[in-house]
Amino acid sequence: MKAILAIARKDLRLMFRDKGDVFFTFVFPMLMAVLFGFVFGGQGGGSKITLALVNESSSKIATSLADDLSNDASFEVTRHDTREGAMNAVRSGKAAAAVVLPASIEEGAGAMFGGGGMQIDCVIDPTRRAEAGLIQGKLNELAFRQFPRMMADPAQSKRMFDQMRSSIESSKDLSPGQKLAGAALAAAGESFSRSLSSDGAANGGAGAAGGGFSPVQVKVEELPRRKGGPRSSFDVSTPVGIVWGIAGCIGAFAASLVVERARGTLSRLRLAPISRMHLLAGKGLACFITTMLVQALLILLAVLGFRCSIAQPAMLLAGCTMAAFAFTGLAMLIAGLCKTEAEANGAGRGALLVLALIGGGTIPLFFMPPVLQTLSYASPFRWAVLAIEGPFWRDLAVSEQVAPLAILFAIGAGGFLVGARLGALREAR
Amino acid sequence: MLAFRDIRKAFGSTLAVDGLSLEVRKGEVFGLLGPNGAGKSTTIGIATGLLAPDAGSVDLLGLGSPTNARVRMHLGLAPQEITLYGELTARENLQFLADLYGLASAKARVDELLALVELDTRADERTAGFSGGMKRRLNLAAALVHDPQLVLLDEPTAGVDPQSRNRILELVRTLASRGKTIVYTTHYMEEAAKICDRIGIVDHGRMLDVGTVAELIARHGGNSTVTVERNGAEERVVTADPVAEVARQFASGGVTGVRIDRADLESVFLALTGRSLRE
Repeated sequence: MKAILAIARKDLRLMFRDKGDVFFTFVFPMLMAVLFGFVFGGQGGGSKITLALVNESSSKIATSLADDLSNDASFEVTRHDTREGAMNAVRSGKAAAAVVLPASIEEGAGAMFGGGGMQIDCVIDPTRRAEAGLIQGKLNELAFRQFPRMMADPAQSKRMFDQMRSSIESSKDLSPGQKLAGAALAAAGESFSRSLSSDGAANGGAGAAGGGFSPVQVKVEELPRRKGGPRSSFDVSTPVGIVWGIAGCIGAFAASLVVERARGTLSRLRLAPISRMHLLAGKGLACFITTMLVQALLILLAVLGFRCSIAQPAMLLAGCTMAAFAFTGLAMLIAGLCKTEAEANGAGRGALLVLALIGGGTIPLFFMPPVLQTLSYASPFRWAVLAIEGPFWRDLAVSEQVAPLAILFAIGAGGFLVGARLGALREAR
Repeated sequence: MLAFRDIRKAFGSTLAVDGLSLEVRKGEVFGLLGPNGAGKSTTIGIATGLLAPDAGSVDLLGLGSPTNARVRMHLGLAPQEITLYGELTARENLQFLADLYGLASAKARVDELLALVELDTRADERTAGFSGGMKRRLNLAAALVHDPQLVLLDEPTAGVDPQSRNRILELVRTLASRGKTIVYTTHYMEEAAKICDRIGIVDHGRMLDVGTVAELIARHGGNSTVTVERNGAEERVVTADPVAEVARQFASGGVTGVRIDRADLESVFLALTGRSLRE
């Protein structure tokens, strides 16, 4: 154990004395986290907004609105059977907002002249407030588009005007004259509706709202947290910073292992009465400690500097630990694959850069277009981001965090074993 | 102390060591002399146990193969490359190795070694700033941290200035005087002749002959040349007994100058391989 600690201590000392490694492992990731924190706080992404849609109504108007939402160029819509399913999609970052067309939507639409209105529920991811206004505006627009269709449907329009007449007649605030005028207006509207029906034509209805007339009510709420605490765009940018910190750290350690092999220092170490596994464990321990350190530093920055809160501290520790383990294994694998110092610093770090980019290093996973999101499954950084985001701010159920943790464990163990074997083969040559 | 029995080692189609056998005796400075690419470093690698031979066996101290970590504990290696960490100080480099070997009195040992290689005044400076000679001396000190019985020095004077070379040679003599057994590889015949008790001539991975300098010259060096100067003219006489020849020339009178060119390791190498050591 003393030998392992000696190797780890030596590697940490070397790491902290290399100004380039210190910058790319600690300073650069913090700059990225802060920069992206401000960027995400100001504006959303340029790609389609992802919506999780639940249609609880079997009415024509709800079906039509759901279809319009699905076909709208601004949205990427996934359908869910339940509100909880849609909420989970938002919570896990797969959707920016959940849109619910409630069972009462038709009833509300029918009562639009009687103080009611077509109600749409929208629950938005708090880290994507910038997109909330756009989502609300688009929902209003699409909902208004349903009115001409509703008016053109004889049964539905009859129901609506009957309800209007009944409401006018039962009103105690209206004078008999006003009631008469109201009834005449209802009759005229119904006549107009019938003409639309017979023509089969429908004109655009957007912009019909005015005064107390409120035919569409889009109720926007933020996704409720399971536990309280502030949220900000720095919740999102912190994992981005962590991605860069980890990339810098394991790039440095993979290169250091190749350098030791190429320069002969590894041979000298192997003369000591320690096994190969001791040697790799020592180097791995240094990499693990640095990776944990960079994660702790960035999380501390988010909590102390930007008032982020940690939803599940114990699970966050598990996520960070597993991420450090996975990337330590990956550092071993890169060191095993690279023959020379130049390869480690060029191809090795280049590959890490690409994996970091597609794994959420610049654009958060949920901002990515679908193709990139699919590609990101191949990046270990994706799983690290998910393992950290889940307990940090998404407050996912433990069962939802198991998969990223298991994948990270597999990456770490596989990387360590394959890297150690490749390294042994290289040393034997 | 160290015995090689019919060792063979190939890298792909290149045969680096070809049936090499030798025996290094306790307390001697044994030189492996040969040109670059002769197989000296591969032989050292096999001696450390880090490189496995394709055939043959190695025995260290009668304990068995140095591939066993416990056996390997008894040897120290100063490789041809400078195997130091440039960002660590001289002291930190040695302290790290002392920790790896689990030395109880590591600090005292590190101080002792820094004094031995005359780097005690530069102990807390990073080695990246050291001269080539200083790095070589520290590289040698690193091989001695655990006080091994056998020290393998692979081209320890490669790329250093003459002054640093002399200091390293003095160090080797000091180690020999303290009872260390040393295997010293070089392609400088002057160095080998100066400090080695016995020398093995290696070429193309084969051990051509082993002996003291005098023995090798006697066996392969051939006769000496006596050059006699008389009345401005030179006369060369090739003889097996140059001293008797000089006496005979003086007896015949009129000698104004005389020079004896004795056979050396260069002539030995030429006789054994048909080419010069410097080629």
